[in-house]
Amino acid sequence: MLDEFDKSIINRIQADFPIDSRPFARIAMELGLNEDEVIRRVKAMKDSGIVRRIGANFVPGKVGFVSTLCAARVPDEKIDSFSEVVNRYPGVTHNYQRENTINIWFTFIARSTEEIEENLARIRAETGVDHIMNLPATKVFKIRAQFEV
Amino acid sequence: MSELLTDTEKQVIASIQGDMPIVERPYEQIASRLGMSEARLLEILRDLVDRGIIRRFGATLRHQKSGFRANAMVAWQVDETRIDAVGKLMASFQAVSHCYRRDPTDEWPYNLYTMVHGQDEADCRQTAEKMARDAAVDRYELLFSRRELKKTSMQYFREVKSEV
Repeated sequence: MLDEFDKSIINRIQADFPIDSRPFARIAMELGLNEDEVIRRVKAMKDSGIVRRIGANFVPGKVGFVSTLCAARVPDEKIDSFSEVVNRYPGVTHNYQRENTINIWFTFIARSTEEIEENLARIRAETGVDHIMNLPATKVFKIRAQFEV
Repeated sequence: MSELLTDTEKQVIASIQGDMPIVERPYEQIASRLGMSEARLLEILRDLVDRGIIRRFGATLRHQKSGFRANAMVAWQVDETRIDAVGKLMASFQAVSHCYRRDPTDEWPYNLYTMVHGQDEADCRQTAEKMARDAAVDRYELLFSRRELKKTSMQYFREVKSEV
């Protein structure tokens, strides 16, 4: 389980990982640990799966991409084959089966709105699933960076 | 609005969107792969943060393993004249990680979406009930996730060739 140092490290590195030659030394200094200890703890949290990755997250619009949420009504027996087709697209980054008549929800990032529409048309044709809604966000009220543990 | 990115910036973006090595000098490793100095890489990264191109730089957690075991997407049907006030109110809940407005469709009348996190599904349900009361919105649906079919990070600019 996580002890208090692990929790402080996690809370420290989620939103604002030091962009600094020795990032772990910097964190260590702030938390009163040494660099090796911080590296050991971060590795352990990676190994146990609490930390999925450490890296940068981008605003799609600012790197010249568009993103959207798509939702489909897929018959139970088609869910696996449908998601196999959908997941093949690298721009589909998240895909969940949810408890609703509209049951498959996936995010799609691409170069343009047209590219997304073309891909959705291709997915409809290949899977025979006609009911796919394209629901781009028109306003963002919140994207949270930090989960306090 | 999309910003103009140089090929070097695109290469840096491609190199830092995955998983950073957990070593004393991770940036030095990445920089040497790109054929640039560590100092130059740090400078470009800080600039990408300053320009708001990097939204968040740091660790991504697996929520199931960090105490947030359940999550629900909650879709709300909100009167358009109140959407800004309701969106802001819902965004202010600790348990809400994402809050967006999206256009409704003929078959799906909802126009506000929140991701609600909790210890378990009952916890998510309770939070949604409180949000509904506080915002005076009574038409909503909780969509609990039943199966994760894919979860990755976007890979931008994989095709950009080294210029240095």
